[in-house]
Amino acid sequence: MIEIKNLSLHLGEFHLKDINLSIGDGEYFVILGPTGAGKTVLMECLAGLHHVKQGEIWMGQREVTHLASEERNVGYVPQDYVLFPFLNVVDNIAFGLKMAKCSGSEIQARVNELADLTGISHLLHRNTRSLSGGEKQRVALARALAPSPGILLLDEPLGALDLRTAKYLRLELRRVHHGLGLTTVHITHDLMEALEMADRVAVIQNGQVEQVAEPEEMLFYPEGERVADFIGAPNILNCDYCRDLGQGIIEVGCGGLKLTVPHEGGHVRKVAILPRHIYVSETRPPGLSVNGFQGSITAIKTAGNTVRIWIDVDDTNLMAEVPSYIFEEMNLAVGKEVFLILRMRRIRCYESHN
Amino acid sequence: MFRILKGAGGDRVFRVATIGALVLLAVFFIGIIVSMLAYTDWDTFVSALFSEEILFAIRLSVMTATIAAIIAILIAVPVAYTISRSSFPGKDIVDSLLDLPIVVSPVALGAALLVFFNTPLGSAIDDDVLKFVFAVPGIVLAQVTVISALAIRLLKSTFDSIDLRYEQVARTLGCSKPEAFFRVTLPLARDGLIASSILTWARAVGEFGATVMLAGATAMKTETLPTAIFLSLATADVEKAIAVIFVLIIIAVVALLAIRKIIGRRYQI
Repeated sequence: MIEIKNLSLHLGEFHLKDINLSIGDGEYFVILGPTGAGKTVLMECLAGLHHVKQGEIWMGQREVTHLASEERNVGYVPQDYVLFPFLNVVDNIAFGLKMAKCSGSEIQARVNELADLTGISHLLHRNTRSLSGGEKQRVALARALAPSPGILLLDEPLGALDLRTAKYLRLELRRVHHGLGLTTVHITHDLMEALEMADRVAVIQNGQVEQVAEPEEMLFYPEGERVADFIGAPNILNCDYCRDLGQGIIEVGCGGLKLTVPHEGGHVRKVAILPRHIYVSETRPPGLSVNGFQGSITAIKTAGNTVRIWIDVDDTNLMAEVPSYIFEEMNLAVGKEVFLILRMRRIRCYESHN
Repeated sequence: MFRILKGAGGDRVFRVATIGALVLLAVFFIGIIVSMLAYTDWDTFVSALFSEEILFAIRLSVMTATIAAIIAILIAVPVAYTISRSSFPGKDIVDSLLDLPIVVSPVALGAALLVFFNTPLGSAIDDDVLKFVFAVPGIVLAQVTVISALAIRLLKSTFDSIDLRYEQVARTLGCSKPEAFFRVTLPLARDGLIASSILTWARAVGEFGATVMLAGATAMKTETLPTAIFLSLATADVEKAIAVIFVLIIIAVVALLAIRKIIGRRYQI
């Protein structure tokens, strides 16, 4: 259990303002926010890398606010992994164990165990400079886990990886977390990463916690305009009915729209889809189109590098978002009929609202 | 004026001007060396080089410069680390003060040291603790005074180039601050440390101004290599001076080659 009480910190121009968070034992907690929001500083406070003068940090029954990093028993995987370049993979993983004065045989056994867990047994004697981004991430994770920390801190662990590796490692991180049941704090600026991985999410902006909620709750009930804006103003549709089609697929009726959605569990009350996950086309897309509709444009608005397009489909108004350079290639105008596809795998379901 | 240097013609003029400066400088140095070679013959050179006085100067220079470089590096490591990693009020002023020995003439530094040893405290140290004035420890002190600033400057840039996060990660893995420094920062600074040691040692070997002020120029007593050049020329023994100049040039070339080799295999952080 981690408790942060009334934590404030001033670092030059940057301020963390009155942070209050409570993270449960074994929870996978994601801190989500844009660049410069204060996520890393907050994590560094947990790791004991800043002198906190205002507020308290508790880990279990221990107040750790003024304890040095080495006394906190936290595993820390910083951005870009920061592997020690003068040590090979084994020695990087064994570093914390040597500091804990473990015996040679204990170190060897633990290194092998972690190498198995993180899938890097074949890399043990490699030089860290020759590793790929994904491999470095695994080594950094094994190194952080080696001294059996009570808490694992991951600073943008997938940020420096290509999309495919990042997607794979999301699953791996969840698997490792599930296997160890270790309280994990993960920071990211990527909404989809937060939605897929978190038990709960804290949205942080300008050094302040804006909302703490389960991923679905945050998506469907963003607190305030700033959170809604940051998560990308999703289209939220109320469901009139919900029918199980088997094999983890359901059909929901939202106004005049019939949507096919992957979902297992209870009755779905609402579905959400982000504007960037709605595909807009001037011509009918070829082939079988699941969740494909036809509608007419009611409004077009430029927002930074993207263009937002409001489309009436039956009685439902949906907002889609396309990059400006794609919009310029299209010939779209208010009143024009367009075809749209709601990407099935990107539709999120919400069962109940507490 | 720059307008007429536009286009391919301008490129050529610029290239000729810059390469010309390089060639001119190279010719200048080679010319100096060749003129020295022309002044002496091989047998005279060898006998001067292996004379008792020059061998003494080589031994004394190597010994004092080694001790001075070790002391300077031992002082410079914590000082450079503090300036690189900490922030405290007046840091800029302290940082600038530490550069003084680089810009102030070594003769002035030596004279200041000599004045210090004429104060009651200095005299007491010189009489009761260790004899510095006109003695070998004075050579080491003069060299340390001149080279420590250089060592600090070099090591500060080494520490500046090492990401603080390495230490932070080490702390989360159970290291105390000193352990993180010795187990992570120093290994990362290894190449910079070796290069700084070589450069400060070579600079100590060549130190003359402060040394001659504090330790004097007594043949076969406080006679380092630069002092040997001074004494040889004072007695019009040019061959001996040339032999020592070559010794100093060889030391400098070896030091620079060693540094180049070390920097060539620096870690990619």
